[in-house]
Amino acid sequence: MASRKSLTPKSTPRRAAKKAPSRAKKPAATKAAPTSRPLVFPELHESTTSSGLKVVAAERGPLPMVSMRLVIRAGSSTDPAGKHGIADFAARLLRRGTRRMTAEAIDEAVEFVGASLGVGVGEDTLSVAITTPAEHFSQMLEVMGQLVMEPTFPESEVADARERALAQFANDLDEPSVIADRAMVRALWGDHPYGHDVSGSTKTVSTFTRDDAVRFHQERLGPKVAMLVVVGSVDPKKVAQAAEKSFAGWTGGPDAPMVIPALNRVVGAGRVVVVDKPDQTQSQVRLGGPGYRMGHEDYFPSTAMNVALGGGFTSRLMNEVRVNRGLTYSIGCWFDAMNAAGIFALSTFTKTESTREIIDVSLGEITKVRDSGIKPGELRDAQTYMSGLYPLRTETNESIAHSIADIRLNGLGDDWVVKFRDRLRAVTPKQVAAVARKYCFAEAPAVVVLGKADAVKKQLRGLGPITVVPASEYE
Amino acid sequence: MRKASPKSAPARAADPSLESLFDVHEATLPNGLQVRLLPNHLAPVVSLYTFFNVGSRNERPGITGISHLFEHMMFNGAKKYGPKMFDKTLEANGGSSNAYTSHDMTVYYDDFASDALETVLDLESDRMRSLRISQDMLTSEREVVKEERRVRMDNDIGGMMDEELGTLVYKAHAYRWPVIGWMADIEAISREDCQTYFRTYYAPNNAMLYIAGDIDPKKTLALVRRYYGDIPRGPAPLPVINAEPEQRGERRSTVRHPAQSPAVMIGYRGPSAKDEDTLALDVAQYVLTKGEGSRLTRSLVYEQKLAVGVGLDWSWRIDPGTILFFLELKPDSDPQKAEAALYAELEKLARDGITERELQKALNNLRSDHLRELGTNNGRAHAMGNYEALLGDWRHVLTLPSAYAAITSEKVKAAAAKYLIPERRSVVTLLPAPSEA
Repeated sequence: MASRKSLTPKSTPRRAAKKAPSRAKKPAATKAAPTSRPLVFPELHESTTSSGLKVVAAERGPLPMVSMRLVIRAGSSTDPAGKHGIADFAARLLRRGTRRMTAEAIDEAVEFVGASLGVGVGEDTLSVAITTPAEHFSQMLEVMGQLVMEPTFPESEVADARERALAQFANDLDEPSVIADRAMVRALWGDHPYGHDVSGSTKTVSTFTRDDAVRFHQERLGPKVAMLVVVGSVDPKKVAQAAEKSFAGWTGGPDAPMVIPALNRVVGAGRVVVVDKPDQTQSQVRLGGPGYRMGHEDYFPSTAMNVALGGGFTSRLMNEVRVNRGLTYSIGCWFDAMNAAGIFALSTFTKTESTREIIDVSLGEITKVRDSGIKPGELRDAQTYMSGLYPLRTETNESIAHSIADIRLNGLGDDWVVKFRDRLRAVTPKQVAAVARKYCFAEAPAVVVLGKADAVKKQLRGLGPITVVPASEYE
Repeated sequence: MRKASPKSAPARAADPSLESLFDVHEATLPNGLQVRLLPNHLAPVVSLYTFFNVGSRNERPGITGISHLFEHMMFNGAKKYGPKMFDKTLEANGGSSNAYTSHDMTVYYDDFASDALETVLDLESDRMRSLRISQDMLTSEREVVKEERRVRMDNDIGGMMDEELGTLVYKAHAYRWPVIGWMADIEAISREDCQTYFRTYYAPNNAMLYIAGDIDPKKTLALVRRYYGDIPRGPAPLPVINAEPEQRGERRSTVRHPAQSPAVMIGYRGPSAKDEDTLALDVAQYVLTKGEGSRLTRSLVYEQKLAVGVGLDWSWRIDPGTILFFLELKPDSDPQKAEAALYAELEKLARDGITERELQKALNNLRSDHLRELGTNNGRAHAMGNYEALLGDWRHVLTLPSAYAAITSEKVKAAAAKYLIPERRSVVTLLPAPSEA
């Protein structure tokens, strides 16, 4: 049976997948025991095409499949004011026609051979990813080259894409967790380049024209801010040759990535936003404050602390909020570390009547960690837990390609994966205490509650100034 | 222990590139527990899956949702490892665990560092042998499941439509209710119900164990025998009767809920997983909705611009399942028009079948997706368990590509003509209602 993505809940897991950071890969997991064998990470082969594109190839079996990933520093943080969402919008259109192929021809070329093509935009990058049976590797890389070098953005495709995007924004209003997340992004980042939804909003997308997409393509996509990663059962020499052929003559784009500023203070700190959705019997709750950029020295102590506080299934938050009180099905907190800055946030939900209780209990647990750190035994368990599971990140071609892209993009060093478990195990209780003081809401967090405003507003008194907004504010 | 023998494989030929990945060792303990071991030394990690042959299919009115609620209870303490100790011990040894319940089965899995193997077997066998169900734990876990129901069904449009559709498609079969159960039943399930459930369905003779990863099969089997060998058999579970009557015409229902756009969910009564037609329907599913160039996506989304998205889920089940379509529409869409466009495509499929190129494309993609699923220990262990639970033999993992290769355009056409007809159809339409401010 092939894997099937179900639209509706066909099976119900005991526990929701813990909320994973939406962009950075999830901090790893590993085994502290000295018996644990070293990780196998494939050797990286580097080359540069004559057009200036960096290529990193890693040969890996046994499945006869290849994953390729072109990462371009043209994420949503490069969207100009008034045109939020243009990176995402243009990226979706890359496959809707090139100088040599129509949208139908691209679909046919990729989908016929059993390859899959995905185009995605995050805050920092635009990525084009193709996973293909190995025998079609060169042909698929050639398609990838066309998509980024010569998209035509047909007028009718632009109009259709705009209409679909606007319908999607409207339908998103019926997804409580999506709207709560969107409200939280705004409450945390405000006008910062990371402060808008990757796909923009009804207001900005409704202004998009073909010219906007063409301009984005010319100004933002180019070999000097891009990197191609190829992992799978293919000879690295063949990768270099195929990349040369597929990306020959690629010009355009900036000489260097745009510089994104750090985040000093979350704009909604100490404030409460209530997103009104009167039909709900449950409240979605988000709390958040500042974190750090990817590659920051606080990464390992914070990662260890987070497992104990709100990462694993035995975390303090899971224990107090779910196990002891039955207040929710899912709760978790995490650090979201991006290239220039990051945040620390908590996400959960509960029935309308217990909205305040879940916030108070959660804040109580976070405060305890801020004041006293975590116990040495908790730290040890967290280290072992993450060390044991970390090798899972090296299981697939896709996950290795992801790691390589992350490492290079954020300057983590090529030994990042291999040394990860040692660095995690070296974390001390003192280091954890220090990061806890810093990140566990030393300043009051931004609070977002989506639910029945009438019923929750009075519960939230004392948490800070309350603003009630309709859900449509986030369309 | 015996090494997997190709002799007992299903009639189809095994895919050679897969055969080399599946050096499976299998055994059955005297208490009935079936064990499948698959070494893979690429990384120092292991996945262990336990499949129990119990799901919402085994429930009855009054205790709907008990399989799922009980799945939660399996984490709440046994004789040796008491309350909270399962996760605590596992995580502190470099592992993590989760579980899911479906209409047909309940599935537990652990991913862990290979040196935690013995600890994991100790933990898993402890709860199979001696689970303790306390009233306090049941009371608290019930609240967790109620929150889960609220988030998945009561506050989710797809969830509420799916729940409604189930009651249309099935009149007599237990597939009628959602896996998570009705709220009132979740409230009413008692400790005694749980204890009976445990004794009946969680015994070794109703379970299968799959261990894939950095293991030595011989030593691992010795450990499995040591930890699981003394767990007594349980009574044979009652067979599930499929009393579903014939459907004599289209069934329709409307859900009114505050929403931005209308939406349509359509279910056709399909065959069971073991039926040959299932594979033809898989091919049909790929032709209709897999990829941007698939028939329904191209027609309804790109050409006629009637839908934002079209989904099709043909999920294999033990008893005849549902071929489910979902149309995500725009705020001003006419759901009837979108429905009509969908039916026109289905009629075309039943009338003309698919082209050779479409067939080859579907086969290429079915194979790629199959290979992707087998890219991890977790995926391999799960795939073996899933095929064994639904089809009776894990070796379908090896032979599936060649089984698909036997599908022809004629078979797809015949399956479409047999199943995708109004007489087998149930339709739920969501119509936006004003918000009750």
